[in-house]
Amino acid sequence: MSSIHQSTGTVTGSPRLDPYELLPEMAELRTAVAGRRWPAVQAFFDARTPADQTYAAVLVSETAGVESFLAEAAAAHPAAPLPRTLLAYRQVVIGWDIRSADRARNVSRDQFRKFHDWLRKAEQLLIDVCAEQPAFPLAWYVRLITARGLELGQSEARRRHDRLAAVSPHHHAAQSQLLQQLCPKWGGTWELAHGFARECASAAPDGSDCAVLVADAHIEHWLDLPSSEDEAYMRGVPVRDDLRFAAEVSVWHPAYRPDANWISAHNTFAMAFSLGGHLQDAARHFAVLGDRACRSPWNYLGDPKAMFAKHRRAALTAR
Amino acid sequence: MTVDTTAQVAALRELAGYATTQGIPTLFAPQAGNEITAGLFFRVGCADETLATAGITHLVEHLALHRIGLSDAHHNGATANAFTLFHVTGTETEVVAHLNSVCASLRDLPLERLETEKEILRTEAAGRSRGVNQQLPLWRYGAQGYGLSSYSELGTWRLTPDEVRWWAQTRFTRDNAVLWITGDHVPDGLDLTLPAGRRIPAPAPSSALPQTPAYIGGDDGQVVLDAVVRRSTAASVFSDVLGRALFRELRQEGGYSYAVDADYSPRDAEWATVTAFADALPQKQDAVTGAFVDVLARLRAGRIEPAELESAKAKALKSLDGPDVAARALPSWALNLLMGHEILTPDQHREQIAAVTVEDVRDVAREAWSTALVQVPGQDLAWAGCASAPQFSEAAVAGTRHPSLEDDRVTLVIGAEGVSLTMPGGPVTVRYDRCVAMAARPDGARVLTGPDGFRVEVEPTLFKGVTPERIAAIDAAVPPGAVVPLPPREDVPRPRPRSTTRTRRASHGSGIAAATAGPSTPGRAFLRWLIWTATALFGLLAVVLTVDELVAPVPDTDVILGVWILELPLALAAWSQWRTRPAN
Repeated sequence: MSSIHQSTGTVTGSPRLDPYELLPEMAELRTAVAGRRWPAVQAFFDARTPADQTYAAVLVSETAGVESFLAEAAAAHPAAPLPRTLLAYRQVVIGWDIRSADRARNVSRDQFRKFHDWLRKAEQLLIDVCAEQPAFPLAWYVRLITARGLELGQSEARRRHDRLAAVSPHHHAAQSQLLQQLCPKWGGTWELAHGFARECASAAPDGSDCAVLVADAHIEHWLDLPSSEDEAYMRGVPVRDDLRFAAEVSVWHPAYRPDANWISAHNTFAMAFSLGGHLQDAARHFAVLGDRACRSPWNYLGDPKAMFAKHRRAALTAR
Repeated sequence: MTVDTTAQVAALRELAGYATTQGIPTLFAPQAGNEITAGLFFRVGCADETLATAGITHLVEHLALHRIGLSDAHHNGATANAFTLFHVTGTETEVVAHLNSVCASLRDLPLERLETEKEILRTEAAGRSRGVNQQLPLWRYGAQGYGLSSYSELGTWRLTPDEVRWWAQTRFTRDNAVLWITGDHVPDGLDLTLPAGRRIPAPAPSSALPQTPAYIGGDDGQVVLDAVVRRSTAASVFSDVLGRALFRELRQEGGYSYAVDADYSPRDAEWATVTAFADALPQKQDAVTGAFVDVLARLRAGRIEPAELESAKAKALKSLDGPDVAARALPSWALNLLMGHEILTPDQHREQIAAVTVEDVRDVAREAWSTALVQVPGQDLAWAGCASAPQFSEAAVAGTRHPSLEDDRVTLVIGAEGVSLTMPGGPVTVRYDRCVAMAARPDGARVLTGPDGFRVEVEPTLFKGVTPERIAAIDAAVPPGAVVPLPPREDVPRPRPRSTTRTRRASHGSGIAAATAGPSTPGRAFLRWLIWTATALFGLLAVVLTVDELVAPVPDTDVILGVWILELPLALAAWSQWRTRPAN
């Protein structure tokens, strides 16, 4: 996938979001899923690292109607962990779509009931998968999401993360799921969230994308602050230095080997620097990204494409 | 399952002697040493009682031992769910004297001691630690049979000498007993004459759990599971594997728990109870619940390391090693003979242990989970596929309605069929004809418990309009055998506004045995009127003074302020009295 990284695309073109378009390698997965060819899906996952598997699982879980295909695959391969895990992930996404991403106070009782029903269904599949195959990190990853949605508590989320880390250390996607749990909105504190991000960044080998978590934590913090304070927070020198350090040890490090997550990593830094007005820092990331945008975290600001384009323009003008 | 005694005993031919002693089946096998040990089992225990007679077996056991007094022999009595045991160690003469004395007392209980022994049992109960699995039996079985171990011995408040005598004569019979003795012969001089009777099978289990696996919410800091599995060597090996797996996961690897344990104990001829427990620091308890669920799921999945199984099997085998194997096995052989469960020789037992496979343990794990009841801190285990144990009765009765003085969402209903407490979540109902116990205080309070364990507390001071006539209506409808009169209490509860009501089945049957503040006496009524009168008079004075000052050419605001500041506490006291006034 490093070849993708080399071609920086056009920095003036209209932003593109479609992950299948941005990561042509994923097209193979889409074809296999659309054709309901389970052996091809299984082979696609088998050939990938845990990080890329997680990325692929996210894509599958967001595919409307895929649940019937996954249920068939799970029935046909009862001992295989992947079909049940993907099915469970899809159930989580269906449930979360019903809940919506809104704050809890705006979610109705009925929405919550359905949301929890879907998550329980998923969780029960995953209990079995983890019992049978504890070394299969993807199932633990999805159980971090169910733990949060079902409000199973901080220590339980931490336990699931620890079980995953024991078999797949420096798993950035899992770390970012636990980070959500450690934020105040899910019962944590900012000390816990930033502490965990720093801990993951410093424990990771050079060039790992774990340090992106530092930027994730600052963006979450910014989102939570009142609009009178949020910009000042991101402009602050400590946050800027944190972000610069995190970018240096991850995406700018010579040892960095881009994987399916690379677009998301640069987008996160680009947005974090943009929010604090560190436009030259942001510009470096936009230059690498070209027209490759990402729904998250730009959707925190509004329409991801429009927000990406606006901040890219501002950053590149300042350069 | 009934097992032929002759066939049972035949299996032990090489290992133990068999005789009958005044009609009581007797097993004996030699043990090294100068002293012998004997145990006299009766097939009666707490599970044979009702909530209103709870403690009757224990009382008989205490009365039977009373005449022994101080003896050199080491002795003890134990009342379990399904059996009672008199146990003694000493010289042959001492053991004979002890057993003869126990049986003499059983034939003719020293009932003049009854009130004293009741008092002793109540004191014993107050000081007894009830263990981690106090709640689960009541939720599984209700307020009957094996569920009674969750309750205090309510019968100690009402049992009559006739009832206790009848219990001894019908349950402590030669036909409902088995004796074992460590020795190569049955000692001379034994006189264990007891009335004839019949072998009473262990009680059939009741059920208060429509669906399993199920959960209940419990105290912080602990997760407890109990499950009912078919008795087998594999099931006992499973419980050891479970204990080891929980210890490794929760304590050694996770560091979430300190105390972790699992236990297997036979319940009756066919079934055993598996209990597992883990404690937790409050900040770690969610992880303890999660890891507990995962450990059980792992065993159900059959992912059991050979080493885990081998350690458990080695431990079981080791218990069959060493000298005097037969003598050490006597208690369990005697109990199996009493219950009608198959008796295994040590060789057969060893073979069965050796034959236990990972698949066997996995199958027991699945059986255990399918019957599990789990007590978790916090509220919920639905995420792991467990149903909530019923929190409410199916319906409320119709009758007079008495709103709670503490919580306006709660109403007590006293009807012709029973009593209900209606709460926002649903009703809790006890029907009179099914009431297993009604504790009654002289102040009018009544606590009714149904066979499903639901209970309704009728506190006249906490609900509006619960007149002596309404209490009399309840008293007239409850079967007299279920009524347990409790002594007067120092503190009658007074209404306190609270945000949550007690919706749960309560743990102790004694209910209002320990409750709370002064009855509605004429003295209190006088005080209440005094406060209201003083408030009114002082209020009038305050109004007059205020008007007086306001019309004055130079109003003195200090006077106005002062007089109203003085009125304020009076007004608050009056308001408080108004809110807590008894309804009429």
